[in-house]
Amino acid sequence: MDMKRDYYEDIQLLDSKVLWFWFLILIASLIILPFLIPNYYIYMVNYMAVNVIVTVGLNILVGYTGQISLGHAGFFAIGAFITVLSMTNLHLPFLLALLLAAFVAAFFGFILGLPALRLKGPYLAIATLGFGLAITQVIGRWQIFGGRMGLEAPGLTLQGLFFSGGSYTLESDRQLYFLIIPIAFVLTTAARNLMKTRVGRAFIAIRDSDIAAETMGVNTVYYKTLAFAISAFYTGIAGGLYAFLIGFINPSSFSFILSIYFLTFVIVGGLGSIFGSIMGGITMTWLILKLDKVQELPYLGDILSAFSERWMSVTGFPNISSIIFGLIIILIVLFEPLGLYGFWIRTKIYWKTWPF
Amino acid sequence: MFLQLLISGLSFGSLYALIALAMVIIYKTSEVPNFSQGEMAMISTFVAYTLLGASGQSFTISFIGALIFAAILGVFLEFVFLRRAKDPNILSLILITLGFEMILYGFAGWKWGADQRDLPFPVSDFDIINLGPAVLSYLNIATLLITLILMFILFVFFKYSKVGIAMKATQQNAMAARINGIRTNRILSITWALSSLIGAVAGILLAPIATLDPNLMLDPLLKGFASAVLGGMTSLVGAALGGYILGIIENLFGGYVSIEFKSVVAFMIIVLVLCFKPSGLFARHYVRRV
Amino acid sequence: MDSDFFSVDNLAITFGGLRAVDRVSFTINRRSIFSIIGPNGAGKTTIFNCISGLYKPDSGKIIFKGEEITGLKPHRIAMKGIARTFQNIELFLRMTTMENLMLGRHIHTKTGVWSGSTFFRRGSKAAREEITHREQVERIIDLLDLQSARDQFVGGLPYGTQKLVELGRALALEPELLLLDEPSAGMNSEERQDLTFWVKDIQEELGVTILLIEHNMQLVRDISDRVLAINFGRPIGEGIPEEVQNDPEVLKAYLGEEESIDAVS
Repeated sequence: MDMKRDYYEDIQLLDSKVLWFWFLILIASLIILPFLIPNYYIYMVNYMAVNVIVTVGLNILVGYTGQISLGHAGFFAIGAFITVLSMTNLHLPFLLALLLAAFVAAFFGFILGLPALRLKGPYLAIATLGFGLAITQVIGRWQIFGGRMGLEAPGLTLQGLFFSGGSYTLESDRQLYFLIIPIAFVLTTAARNLMKTRVGRAFIAIRDSDIAAETMGVNTVYYKTLAFAISAFYTGIAGGLYAFLIGFINPSSFSFILSIYFLTFVIVGGLGSIFGSIMGGITMTWLILKLDKVQELPYLGDILSAFSERWMSVTGFPNISSIIFGLIIILIVLFEPLGLYGFWIRTKIYWKTWPF
Repeated sequence: MFLQLLISGLSFGSLYALIALAMVIIYKTSEVPNFSQGEMAMISTFVAYTLLGASGQSFTISFIGALIFAAILGVFLEFVFLRRAKDPNILSLILITLGFEMILYGFAGWKWGADQRDLPFPVSDFDIINLGPAVLSYLNIATLLITLILMFILFVFFKYSKVGIAMKATQQNAMAARINGIRTNRILSITWALSSLIGAVAGILLAPIATLDPNLMLDPLLKGFASAVLGGMTSLVGAALGGYILGIIENLFGGYVSIEFKSVVAFMIIVLVLCFKPSGLFARHYVRRV
Repeated sequence: MDSDFFSVDNLAITFGGLRAVDRVSFTINRRSIFSIIGPNGAGKTTIFNCISGLYKPDSGKIIFKGEEITGLKPHRIAMKGIARTFQNIELFLRMTTMENLMLGRHIHTKTGVWSGSTFFRRGSKAAREEITHREQVERIIDLLDLQSARDQFVGGLPYGTQKLVELGRALALEPELLLLDEPSAGMNSEERQDLTFWVKDIQEELGVTILLIEHNMQLVRDISDRVLAINFGRPIGEGIPEEVQNDPEVLKAYLGEEESIDAVS
């Protein structure tokens, strides 16, 4: 272990030359990547980045502050719909619309945080569950949100990022890539910094012992609602990006099941770890996309298809992904509560002492 | 119109009350809000449907078969998953029930697809009794009666039976109960079986009014939770009353204010209760220990 | 020494018919050490919980530096300069010792969401604040000999060390009044001696006033300026340590509690 020379290194993002080197390599490869891989994979990376933003945001609430949420699909929906609507109806440029949507989501997060403040685990879970369901129902029944039919994301232009109207259509996945990746990058870094400093410490303190936190001067009411708001903000941004990634949004894509998918990302990555969130978001997105086409897998796909036809229903085949997600949740909770991050830490320790 | 809304409110309310009761029974023993309660009931209803249709059994046999299945499912969840949790804090227990919920939801979707089905029920929603300005269907009557009978049995069971009293003891102090020779693990299993069974009754009674598909219980689950919160999460009587109150409020809201946003009522009630009377309408408040 | 530094006046609180604290009054002088003793369940910790705002007393007044603080929210009371430790350690187990102590600096720091998430240089506001306060915390780490535990997660530290970290966290708040709830419980005699010195140091060098709940009479006798004995929530004797210890009422309260008989005698 190398000696720390001053206190800044405790909170510094990259505390050695070696890390700087890898960091620059990472940025360079992120820039080159979309020119090397086919379009479908760029779409996949974009999708991963969106989910990483959600995972980081949800982890701030669940992993760091210890407050559960079963309603993040609601914030995701708010982000998506408000972004699209404020572009089509208010003619806002994209980035402003995205920011507005994220603040609306944060506001709802703040409101939702309020009633659940004095209460722990079970009540919070129930209230957030109710919130998620209520949001999708309201959106599904309100004409301005396109009702059950949903909304189409407007064409995105380069100028439209900053001004309303304009040309240079930004519709290919590669162009979206250069919009989504920087945002994901900035938000992840910001979250990591935040968790290393005063606000993050207050969150963790509330998670570990809220009684001690408040007797040490932490205004737990304020920080719990703040955690909700920040988490909703992240999820709102991700929702807005998602609308343009998919191109079309309707209320049924923001179901209760989606909220649980988000939670799965977090616990697979590891509660209370930003690095874990990145891993969780990436691997689980990969898994979702694989599961969408599970029939096409060699051998396993054929066996499952045959099994489906014989014993199950063919139309219900995609539901297999719910089963797998459910199993993953249970297995992680039972056997590896720190998720991939815990696994990573243990491998690191193992290699440090290898071969002894 | 008021009377009519009241009747259907009571009818829906009794289903909410059943789900709330099922949840409260679990919550009292394990402090877990069971998020798989809805899907457990949904699967059990599908079992009744399969027994009726594919195997051509009589309704009574299918009904009983579904209840037995539900009971086994409850024991399974508790024994195979929850009991194995290494660090049984609230978050991990909630996550386990959520995982189980996903498995059941996915399984039902896979097995029965997204088609909407009808569960043939011996009592029809269309045979009605005229009550002047309102009508009361046979199904309403059956729902109300079955719920009341079930509740009565439950209260007697908890109050007077040996197992019921042992359950109460386990709820209050598991360690002391164990020292006094109560097999708390077995009591826990029975609790889960009982809860799952009550949920299944609600599912089967709901299926003829709604349509039977994997989403059958998604909404009622929230209603059940809202009722339980209204009743204070730990009181059986409170949960039952909470269910009826929610059913009535919801129907009146649907009738007089807005039918579109009827299903938001449950969420609003949860929020209002948590804001103004977090211990519920019928439970005593407790002080946290330091 | 001003006598209106801290006082509790006729404090009372009832839990479901049980009078946990019943008309307790006392006054603490600035820069003194005041101990509360009494059998288990006498209501000592409940008094602490009322002072630090976790419980709202039914009646009575708590005055700190001429200002009534009764019923204020816990974090408000902390901001007035009252810190405490807990009988059953309440640390942030998945934070390092350093981070636990840094949390103690919470009320003295200002970094918010924006500045806390957007620092990228040593000179940024958040980074500067972080560095300054880490230096301050380092002094407490030195004072309590916690260097070896500095970067370890407190969840893995031995019990005695955890107790010290908790004391350190309370000190990081720079309190004027420090409430210690059985600080020596679970310590061996060597650790207890160290603790005695530290508590003395904290009072004399840092000028902190200390309110102490303690079972170990040796420790109480060594460091207390005044002692209050309570039983069943009621005060049964107050004075300098020797007086209280020989008070027949106090002796009677302790009789039957084997552990404490030898402690008293």
